[in-house]
Amino acid sequence: MIYLLLFVEFFKIGIFSFGGGYATMPFLYHISDTYHWFSYEELSRMLAISSITPGPVGLNVATFAGFKTSGILGSIDATLAIMIPSFIIVILISKILKKFKDNFYTKAILYALRPAAAAMIAAVGVRLFKTYIFSIKNVSIFDSIDIKAFMLFILLVLISLKLKKDPLVYLLIGAFFGIILHFGHILNLFA
Amino acid sequence: MGGGYVIVPLLNSELVEKNNWITKEDVVDFYAMGQCVPGIIAVNTTLFIGYKLRGKTGALTAFFGLILPPFLAIIFLASILMKFSDNVIMNDIFWGVNIAIVILMFLTVKEVWNTSIVDKFTLFLFSFILILSVVGVSPSISIVLAGILGIIYNLIKKIKEDRL
Repeated sequence: MIYLLLFVEFFKIGIFSFGGGYATMPFLYHISDTYHWFSYEELSRMLAISSITPGPVGLNVATFAGFKTSGILGSIDATLAIMIPSFIIVILISKILKKFKDNFYTKAILYALRPAAAAMIAAVGVRLFKTYIFSIKNVSIFDSIDIKAFMLFILLVLISLKLKKDPLVYLLIGAFFGIILHFGHILNLFA
Repeated sequence: MGGGYVIVPLLNSELVEKNNWITKEDVVDFYAMGQCVPGIIAVNTTLFIGYKLRGKTGALTAFFGLILPPFLAIIFLASILMKFSDNVIMNDIFWGVNIAIVILMFLTVKEVWNTSIVDKFTLFLFSFILILSVVGVSPSISIVLAGILGIIYNLIKKIKEDRL
């Protein structure tokens, strides 16, 4: 039963996600909300690992999420499910390729889907910001902000103003400060 | 590694220069088409090229060629990661990585902003879908809704232009 549900959910990603890579993430966070097969925390880990593994990020994350949900069969299930819509569509439109690209409706839809896909990724950003940095737990604003996380966030924002977008650089900087935090914990620097 | 546009130079060197299976223009065309259909761009591009070369079998073969190495790598890494999921140092490392991912989401939006938000209507759509997504509307519904709004808007625009 879980295999069928997994297949349906990833098939939906295959049909409705545009842009690949990070465009699949809004769907995965929605799956996390609905079925609790994996947590936000686990999804972030999957995305990080998928970004440093060869191959398309979107596909890697699907494989990973399938594996997390129900082992190797789950990973095969999710990987095929996300690809089958593409396969059918490619075969259907390969014959009318040029016409399809210049079609009025194709253009009208893509014109609207680009900002929509961007908005969905921004919403994931907002949601993750609330999860890791600013979670409203108390009445006081200061209690709601994780100060260490917020400082790292600001530092990364400053770096992004200078640097071109290479995901690996940000992940490595994040990991580096994670290690520093770890030794901080060991030495009891942060009480 | 990275997916998306990094596939273009690889396709050029392997398929165009080494094997002469397709032309450079084909690569650009198929990559552009890969972005016009739903799904993962690298997968779509691969399927288009495979289908052109050898039909359905070609598309499937190309897909499995694309997916097999990362599939095995992910299974391997996933198994290791699950063993160490409660490890303290891993948790601390991923604390930092998680924050990097928040930034990466916003940087992705920044990167596509100029090509996606081109006028008042697309700015409205961006804000509208952002609100829907933040309150938890399913991404599939948001996408269908955006597609319908896009068609309606462009139809109205076309009718107005035709009248002039």
